[in-house]
Amino acid sequence: MLVHTVTFKQARQLVPVVLPLGAVIGFDGGTTTVVLLAVGVTLASLGFAALNWSRFGYTDGPTAVVVTRGLLARSARTVPRDRIRGVEVEGPLLHRLLGLVRVRIDAAAGATTAEGEEVVVDGVTRAEGERLRAGLLQRRPAPDGAVDPAAPEAAPATEELARFDPRWLLYAPLAGSYLAVPVAAVGALFRLLDELPRQLRPDVDGVHLTGWLAVVLAVGTALVLLALGAVIGAAVVNWGFRLVRRDGALVADRGLVTRRHTELEVDRIRGVSVSAGLGLRWAGAARVSALVTGLGAAQRRGQLLPLGPRAEADRLAGLLVEDPGELRRHPAAARRRQVVRSVAPGLVVTVVGGALAALLGWWPALAAGLGLALLGVPVGLARYAALGHRAGARSFAVRSGWLVQEQVVLQRRAVVGWQVRQSPFQRRAGVATVVACVGAGSGGYAAVDLAAGDVVPFTRAASEEWAGTLAP
Amino acid sequence: MTATGSAPVREPAWPLPRAAIRLWVTQGVIGTVFWAVVLVLALALLPTDDAPLSALPWAGPALLALYAVVAIGLQPWIRFRVHRWEVTPEAVYALTGWLTRTWTLVPIARIQTVDVTRGVLQQAYGLATVAVLTASSQGTVRVPHLPAGVAEQVATDLARRAEQVRDEAT
Repeated sequence: MLVHTVTFKQARQLVPVVLPLGAVIGFDGGTTTVVLLAVGVTLASLGFAALNWSRFGYTDGPTAVVVTRGLLARSARTVPRDRIRGVEVEGPLLHRLLGLVRVRIDAAAGATTAEGEEVVVDGVTRAEGERLRAGLLQRRPAPDGAVDPAAPEAAPATEELARFDPRWLLYAPLAGSYLAVPVAAVGALFRLLDELPRQLRPDVDGVHLTGWLAVVLAVGTALVLLALGAVIGAAVVNWGFRLVRRDGALVADRGLVTRRHTELEVDRIRGVSVSAGLGLRWAGAARVSALVTGLGAAQRRGQLLPLGPRAEADRLAGLLVEDPGELRRHPAAARRRQVVRSVAPGLVVTVVGGALAALLGWWPALAAGLGLALLGVPVGLARYAALGHRAGARSFAVRSGWLVQEQVVLQRRAVVGWQVRQSPFQRRAGVATVVACVGAGSGGYAAVDLAAGDVVPFTRAASEEWAGTLAP
Repeated sequence: MTATGSAPVREPAWPLPRAAIRLWVTQGVIGTVFWAVVLVLALALLPTDDAPLSALPWAGPALLALYAVVAIGLQPWIRFRVHRWEVTPEAVYALTGWLTRTWTLVPIARIQTVDVTRGVLQQAYGLATVAVLTASSQGTVRVPHLPAGVAEQVATDLARRAEQVRDEAT
């Protein structure tokens, strides 16, 4: 019946166990030992896989999905259908060769645990995966009063919202998360080298660098390789990314080797987040994710545009949540506070460095402190420039962050509470931080250092009448 | 309160019972005793002749005295003056903190669960904490140190009303 592809994963897990074993026995035993080991590992993992597979089962009933598993200790997990927030069908390379897919089912998380619970059904045929996906996400009668005017109730027409342009891959070296890919790969390579027995290690003599030219060349090559790695990493994950709206759901397809198919209900989208790090901002690029209720920490699932020009990101965000308009700046007191906060660490180092210079005549700390304090001024100004808020007719927006700037646009109905914070310093400056509590994304989005007088008008405009309780 | 002039939002209407002050004072006393024991042990066991630790015999007691004054003499009273709460027909509203103040407002329609907890000290003073939870991890209204009877009553009342008006709650 079903070929279980877990085998290879388990074989890989056994490798670290076998390598030291081999090191102890010694690979000197010749090829016989190696072949025996290989055969043994394969058989053992096949056995494991078969056992696991035979003890795994699932049923999708009319009200709930039940997954049972476990070798000795049996576990059955029941997920009520109305708690299912999203279904992802993915086909890793091996699965695709065998015509299989892996289905991930996202269930809503409770109020206290922010993480989404996930149920995985691995190794079903593509047709069965498709049937599960379609069946589980069948449109339920919309809960009254929650009908989003943006959701089309028309025929199941598909409308393409975004399509990935391969040229956007060039932004990848500027995004931290993609830069991490080649670095991680190099790290893994070194770890593997460490685990290999000495005889098998490639014999590399220490490279002798002489002169500035060689250093510059080496650094340049490393940078180019890093950038190349980031582009390749981004391409593997995002190749052929396409986002369509179909029958009240957003469907995203992507991936070069592993194809991923993600589906999100439009009804559950409460807002969008457009974020960009320093590098991406410099290049005029950004990424977009949807803030979906009950998705909890499964952020990757909500990604709507992995990488793209800012204009494209803003257009996509505007399609899903109404744009509340130009952001309002925060008061001058906020600018003062941001600059002071950015300069303060440098000043502390300067004072300590001054003491050291006076007592021991050791001045590098003093110089570093002064440099940090000076750098703090532009950083503080940039942090202030990032601050903004605006309440529109049906939505509102807040923006903050310098290293990674995030602009979040939320629907009015998304707000499940308000939190207003004021430290003694903020009280003196006449500002306060307002957090919109939302049952999606990170749980709360803050408008930092709002003028104290603006708090009540903003909360009133950005949520329903109950926010009037805050008014004096 | 001196800060009402620049307060960004309204103060909730109801204060905490005065027993809350006694509880915070007790907590301050316990904290002071704990640090005093730590200090005595440190003075007895550590060599205090060397340069970095030579300040301990006079700086330790001074810091301890400062901590005692703040934790026993100041903080409970400031907290009592700051902390307020209110349940309106539409929402639950609370103000907490002592230096940094936090106002939290949650509409009844978005309440998911209401918890009542009673710590050991709270039981001694007949107090309880009410926590109103929503779908957001940050949107929790926590009212500490209400009289146990009131807390119980508020919790049942809120849970019942939340059931009646609940929309999607997310």
